[in-house]
Amino acid sequence: MSLFLASVGFGLVTASVLAIASVGFTLQFGVTDVLNLAYGAVMIAGAFITYVLNHAGLSVWIGLPVAVVACSAGSVLLNSAVYTPFQRRGASPITLVIVSLGITLIIEFGVQALAGGTSVSYAMSQGPTLRAGGLILTAVQLAVIGVSLLVMGGVHVLLRYSKLGKAMRATAANATLARNCGIRTGRVITSTWALTGAMCGLAGVVFAIDSGSFDATSTDVFLVLILAAVFLGGPGQAYGAMLGATVIGIATEVSATFIPADYKYVVAFVVLLLMLGVRPAGLLGARA
Amino acid sequence: MNAFYLVNLLVYAAVDAMACLGLSQQFGIAGVTNFGFIIFQAAGGYTAAVLAMPSDSANGGFQRYIGGWHLPFPIPWLGAAVVGGVLALPFTFLVGRRLRGDFAAVGLLVTAVLVNLLVTNYVPLFNGDAGISVIPLPLQGKLNAQTQGYEWAFTAVALVLCVGVYLFVRRITESPYGRSLRAMRDNDAVADSLGKNLLSLRTGVLVIGGAIAGLSGGILVSYITTWSPAAWGYAETVVLFAAVIIGGAGNHRGAVLGAILVPVGFEEVTRFIPSSNNLPPNLIPSLEWVAIGLLIVVFLWLRPQGILPERKRVIALPPQPLPAGDRTAPASPGESAPADPVTRSVERTPPATAVQAAGPGAGQVMLQACDLVRDFGGVRAVDGVSLSVRRGTLTGLIGPNGAGKSTLLAMLAGTLPASSGTISYLGQDITGMPAFRRARIGLVRTFQLASEFKRLTVLENLLSAVPGHRGDSLRGAVRGRRYWSGDEQAAIDRAGIILDRFGLRDVANRYAGDLSGGQRRLVEIMRALMAEPSMLLLDEPMAGVHPNLARRIGDELVALCRDGMTILMVEHELAIMDEFCDPVIVMAEGAVLAEGTMRELRARSEVVEAYLVG
Repeated sequence: MSLFLASVGFGLVTASVLAIASVGFTLQFGVTDVLNLAYGAVMIAGAFITYVLNHAGLSVWIGLPVAVVACSAGSVLLNSAVYTPFQRRGASPITLVIVSLGITLIIEFGVQALAGGTSVSYAMSQGPTLRAGGLILTAVQLAVIGVSLLVMGGVHVLLRYSKLGKAMRATAANATLARNCGIRTGRVITSTWALTGAMCGLAGVVFAIDSGSFDATSTDVFLVLILAAVFLGGPGQAYGAMLGATVIGIATEVSATFIPADYKYVVAFVVLLLMLGVRPAGLLGARA
Repeated sequence: MNAFYLVNLLVYAAVDAMACLGLSQQFGIAGVTNFGFIIFQAAGGYTAAVLAMPSDSANGGFQRYIGGWHLPFPIPWLGAAVVGGVLALPFTFLVGRRLRGDFAAVGLLVTAVLVNLLVTNYVPLFNGDAGISVIPLPLQGKLNAQTQGYEWAFTAVALVLCVGVYLFVRRITESPYGRSLRAMRDNDAVADSLGKNLLSLRTGVLVIGGAIAGLSGGILVSYITTWSPAAWGYAETVVLFAAVIIGGAGNHRGAVLGAILVPVGFEEVTRFIPSSNNLPPNLIPSLEWVAIGLLIVVFLWLRPQGILPERKRVIALPPQPLPAGDRTAPASPGESAPADPVTRSVERTPPATAVQAAGPGAGQVMLQACDLVRDFGGVRAVDGVSLSVRRGTLTGLIGPNGAGKSTLLAMLAGTLPASSGTISYLGQDITGMPAFRRARIGLVRTFQLASEFKRLTVLENLLSAVPGHRGDSLRGAVRGRRYWSGDEQAAIDRAGIILDRFGLRDVANRYAGDLSGGQRRLVEIMRALMAEPSMLLLDEPMAGVHPNLARRIGDELVALCRDGMTILMVEHELAIMDEFCDPVIVMAEGAVLAEGTMRELRARSEVVEAYLVG
């Protein structure tokens, strides 16, 4: 039982990292209709920016905002310089996916060219270990959960109560109609990518913190978890991504108590393939 | 340049070219984006290995793997191809359904990552991460594998197989079956409505591509005598896609060129870069990947058709028949109808259900709908519509925007499933019948928005609709041109006559996507006629068309109905309704409001209020 609870605890941490990443990914898709498979690459680039600063002596918590800003700017650039021009030309969704794979190669292996192929890790202390009712978590892990909850709360407030949030939801539902209603969709899209890019950078750093050691290709498998969470909840649905992240995060960790730990990601894969085959709109998406 | 180097180069070129040909047919010809492609090559490789090797306990015991039957050449290679093909079957659940192309592609990509993960971790299967090694070379026991003669023989066999694959793939692509694949690529919903079984077509290319990939894996494994998960991550699929895109998707020579430029080219380029101890060891490989990523993005932006773009298939039409009278102007439809036996006889052959020409069968109910309902979430687009359409009539369907006309048409055609209600055609219940089967029994639709197959010529568009073509199946395609050329020539003759009737002979060999709006409309109608329908469902055929042309189309449709065709037409132009349609059905807010001739309808106040005013 204690093993089960401990794995639930790990699952909460994974879910927290996954939630930040998935909500960002799903909002990008919702507003621009692009499956930005380069998301994982931007994450790991953020992780490495913090690593370089950490290696130079700065604390991870100082390097983190730098990574967030950099990834935010990078994501805006990615959309306006790459995806938008292709979309304006009428490129098919599959062309955009292939383009995003090309960008993934450029970013990931660009990072690898600069930083080398060996695994690295942050120099940081995990803080005291805390136990509560069977859950065993370090202070840093708790901080990660806390940050994730903050971000989820912020996204909720943004979408529900702010003008930008409403404009985002309108643009995601029907961009042409939103434009005709006076919403400046260009600005909305840029703001969305800036915000989600920031979330991507944040997700990259907490991913690196949670993983311990990482290298330039570590997010390849993590991207699959993101996709599983996104499609479980419904592509474009922020709350769906939160739900999906929680389920996938806990399920993968808990499954490690039943099946060999190497296979724990299989749960995520199976969920993703099932959703694509049976209900691509996701649990919270509208049925066609 | 020594012999070993050349052998190495040629074998890799043959293997990569083969793989690219398989991928090119799936992606470039059929429009199936198979991001899991590498799994099939991997499966072929492992199959060849475990078929050729002795059982793992007898093999020194330091590797674990299934199989190990020590089978002689060429069984391992044959097995590799078979396993590659069979492995494709479970994947069809992702590509057969109406799932967005990019979603399906992501599913396949994820599957590739998953399979790699499973093979890496489940050691008893294929020795996990360490992979399988000391794989016997073909005929190792009988021949001395160390000699140069053996190496060259191996190379020759690999190249011959590569050429064989090229010829096979080309034979399939240049057949009517290949034309159907391209039509599916250009617009799958329309291909479906013209009688193409999308699931079967996609399964076909997945299996063929899988078998080719498997064979390439078998050859590769026999050459390098080792195989591990590191050799087939999803990055390798990206390399193959880059090769096909750069070389030219949709052109088989382009696929070979891409194979030479990208996987082989990159390997060779690294030899010429001077090695330096100052550089970190992984810098060059990393930069290669960056370069591939850049090439993909740059090519898709600057030259998406690739270095060797898809060729235009120019088909010669038989010369225009002389006694058609005035050849400077296209034959006016009203005049030619009675006296031209050639046109009449090839225009439409009755379907197997033996519908008679106008006369005894006239008045028979062709299509009947009972209480059709269609919901979209909370919106009820069609609310209990019942109608019946009689043979030989040109029925109009009008109503304000949002009345549900197009939705009703889509349900009748099978493009949309009905939420409830029944549809029957010539007495047969077709409520659950998919669109492509309805087309095959003679119920054919056209679409409101531009739906020509853009990258097929006008003539190819017409030919793609021909039902029962001998070359339009995988088996027919494999049997080659001599098997289906008879049907093809007959179809070309028919198409020529229809083109003459509508005056579009001059543009027969132009890409349909390059035509003007009015011309594309005509192509759509001609194509529907080529499908030998007994009933046509036309969705705003005159939309955006010059009034004179619209009148000509109307005359044409009336002539068809006189000869026994049944037509249900959605239209907005009330003048068209006045002139050509009887009866006319009025819809509003999802339900049928009234039915009758236009004169009768104009007299009814509820119709006037709902639609005719303003």
